[in-house]
Amino acid sequence: MAVLSSSSNLLLLLLMSSLDWLSTPGSAFFMGRHHMTSPAPLEPHITECISRDQATFRCWWSPGNFHNLSSPGALRLFYIRKDSPTSEWKECPEYVHSNRECFFDDLHTSIWVTYCMQLRSQNNITYYNEEDCFYVENIVRPDPPVSLNWTLLNISRSGLNYDVMVNWEPPPSADVRLGWMRIEYEIQYRARNTTKWEALEMQPQTQQTIFGLHTGKEYEVHIRCRMQAFTKFGKFSDSIFIQVTDVPSKESTFPLTLVLVFGIVGILILVMLIVVSQRPRLMMILLPPVPAPKIKGIDPEMLKKGKLDELNFILSGGGMGGLPTYATDFYQDEPWVEFIEVDVEDPDTGEKEDNQGSDTQRLLDLSQPVSHHMNIGFSNAVSFPDDDSGRASCYDPDLPDQDALTLMASLLPGQPEDGEASLDIVKRAPAPERGERPLVNTQTGGPQTWVNTDFYAQVSNVMPTGGVVLSPGQQLRIQEGTSGAEDETQKKGKEHKGSEDSEEDKEKELQFQLLVVDPEGGSYAAESNGRQVGAPPSSPIPGEGYQTIHPQPAETKPAAAAEDNQSPYILPDSPQSQFFGRVADYTVVQEVDNQHSLLLNPPPRQSPPPCLPQHPLKALPAMPVGYITPDLLGNLSP
Amino acid sequence: MHSVSVMQWGVWAVLLWPKLLTVSIPLDCREEPGSLSRCPSISQEKLLDRVIQHAELIYRVSEESCSLYEEMFIPLPLQFQRNQAGYTCITKTLPIPSSRNEIQQISDKWLLHSVLILVQSWIEPLVYLQTSLDRYDAAPDMLLNKTKWVSEKLISLEQGVVVLIKKMLDEGLLTINHSEQGLFQYDVQPEVLESVMRDYTLLSCFKKDAHKMEAFLKLLKCRQTDKYNCS
Repeated sequence: MAVLSSSSNLLLLLLMSSLDWLSTPGSAFFMGRHHMTSPAPLEPHITECISRDQATFRCWWSPGNFHNLSSPGALRLFYIRKDSPTSEWKECPEYVHSNRECFFDDLHTSIWVTYCMQLRSQNNITYYNEEDCFYVENIVRPDPPVSLNWTLLNISRSGLNYDVMVNWEPPPSADVRLGWMRIEYEIQYRARNTTKWEALEMQPQTQQTIFGLHTGKEYEVHIRCRMQAFTKFGKFSDSIFIQVTDVPSKESTFPLTLVLVFGIVGILILVMLIVVSQRPRLMMILLPPVPAPKIKGIDPEMLKKGKLDELNFILSGGGMGGLPTYATDFYQDEPWVEFIEVDVEDPDTGEKEDNQGSDTQRLLDLSQPVSHHMNIGFSNAVSFPDDDSGRASCYDPDLPDQDALTLMASLLPGQPEDGEASLDIVKRAPAPERGERPLVNTQTGGPQTWVNTDFYAQVSNVMPTGGVVLSPGQQLRIQEGTSGAEDETQKKGKEHKGSEDSEEDKEKELQFQLLVVDPEGGSYAAESNGRQVGAPPSSPIPGEGYQTIHPQPAETKPAAAAEDNQSPYILPDSPQSQFFGRVADYTVVQEVDNQHSLLLNPPPRQSPPPCLPQHPLKALPAMPVGYITPDLLGNLSP
Repeated sequence: MHSVSVMQWGVWAVLLWPKLLTVSIPLDCREEPGSLSRCPSISQEKLLDRVIQHAELIYRVSEESCSLYEEMFIPLPLQFQRNQAGYTCITKTLPIPSSRNEIQQISDKWLLHSVLILVQSWIEPLVYLQTSLDRYDAAPDMLLNKTKWVSEKLISLEQGVVVLIKKMLDEGLLTINHSEQGLFQYDVQPEVLESVMRDYTLLSCFKKDAHKMEAFLKLLKCRQTDKYNCS
């Protein structure tokens, strides 16, 4: 291997040194014109041989410096086709003397065969060069393509660059369709005033895209081709000029985009302004306020943490006498506020909307227009329940209008009986005589006053007759009206009936209270009351008033016969209860007399002072308050 | 320049590889009526196309090999000698037409047979060329790979032409016989220059003959598609 390489190197050196000797002007044809530097006299030589279609070819010669041979016909061209060892030199088949050209047509052209050319003068001087031999396929230079034109592909968004598709036809002389020649093309382009051509990659298709041309510049484009896998190119085609001017729409879109941008910004600002100015309303819509407890007349501040005591005080009627009658409008700016109506008279159930009245009322067989309690919804629509807790009933109570009363009554569809009762009460109001006016008043005030009674009534004393004395704190029912006693009774009966069902529910509640059970009685205290009512019912007893309620024998038991077993309703005995004061909530049974009546307290037997203001929560002095327990009961001697 | 051509060759090889593979699949299926032919059947047009592509590629690679060889081993003054190697080519004795007129006048059958003869006559010399190039000291790998590739593809081209002959001419299967010494008689040339020149001559002649094969096949295709215009 090393021997081979060294010997090859030596050979190469030898060859290179003999290069000058070998190179002659005659080989200019083969080597290319650039090698013609020798100053030796130019003898006639073959200039060039070119084939355009690989089927014919032409050769040109030059006389060189031998001007005497320049005349046509002075030199003759001979060729030999070395396809067999016996081939001979032949003369050119077709001369074109004007060009010093020899044309070889199809018949005289063979591919893949070596051709050698020589020139002979008239006197048989041969100018021959060994290098002037060739294969025809190696001298093929196709004609330039034809029909070169271009189309605009696209323009960039900025309008500065664009792409162009150039297409052309193959040279007609090249038999591409037959497949005789396989041609590939090369496009070159340059801008107008530049000298360097940009060349695109060679490819055999008849179209090509030029990318990245600049608008406004003029471009020159031309094309040439050659056979694939060969080296010699054909001539360039004629140039075409490409120019794309600036697109005017580019300029018009610019202000359009500006306008769009400014418009959008303006709209955004407007929306922001609207939002800011209408913020409260928007906040209302988007974030509706959470309903918080809003009690009419109570400062919402008090509802906050830590002020529960004050709240209780107010709710229980302290301070200014309870909640003011006028609606302190703490929520003036919130018209949608729904108020929770507080039943101030019942601090235990201050916020209950007790449809059916307090238990005490039921206990005392009263029904009231509970519509007083029902101030649902609209704060200012219904009159405020009258707070009578601190006043005697002899005062002119704030009578609600009869209309209002009926309205209120009608507001309660579920309690027609109450409505009737209330109506009865109302109607009866003007009926009684003057003497019974207090009764009436009390009656009419009864519903009202009973509004103010406690939820539970405490029996303070039990009369031998069976009546039960209720503790102060409730207004006693003043039924001591003889005239209307029986009516009352009946009324009571009706009331009883009416409220019977609802009151049955209260039985359980009342059971733990001290009840007067007189099986004999079975009647209501109303009857006893009715009987006993003799004296005109005076005003409620101020101070401590004890009422005894006696269970009456079945004298007057009208419709209440069905309720023999039940006499859960303990009504204060009015005649004995000349004192219509409030009774203590709870009392202790002191003794049981021989008539099986519980004596809660020794009856004070005093005439009730009229119209004395009541103290709502006056407790009985020296009165052990408590429940009677079963063992205590045993102590009570029957 | 050469790197571009090398790249092109590489691209060609990659693109035509599946096609070459198809051509190399043994297609001598017997069309017996009862048997399930396991070999893929291919239409005549497609086969001809593939054969033509094969020939084109072979020519391209051979041309690149020749240029590479010439550039590396042949000094400029001697390069023209390739044009004179016409009558020293091994295939010069083959009765193959060489002018377009003659080629256009010969029949399809003769075209195909000419191609087949050419292909068959070059298989062995290429093998020799490969061995000769391997003995070189500074032969680039690219040249060696190309010549190796060419010799391999020539064999598959031969197979394709055989099937084509069978399909187009309905002739029987030609025996592929490489045993005969044929045209090529080589003797070991110990001298460097002569071996170099001979290799150069071989490459040039092969390039020429590859071009010839390509032209024949293309003319044949033209005749298949449009008989009247391909005169």
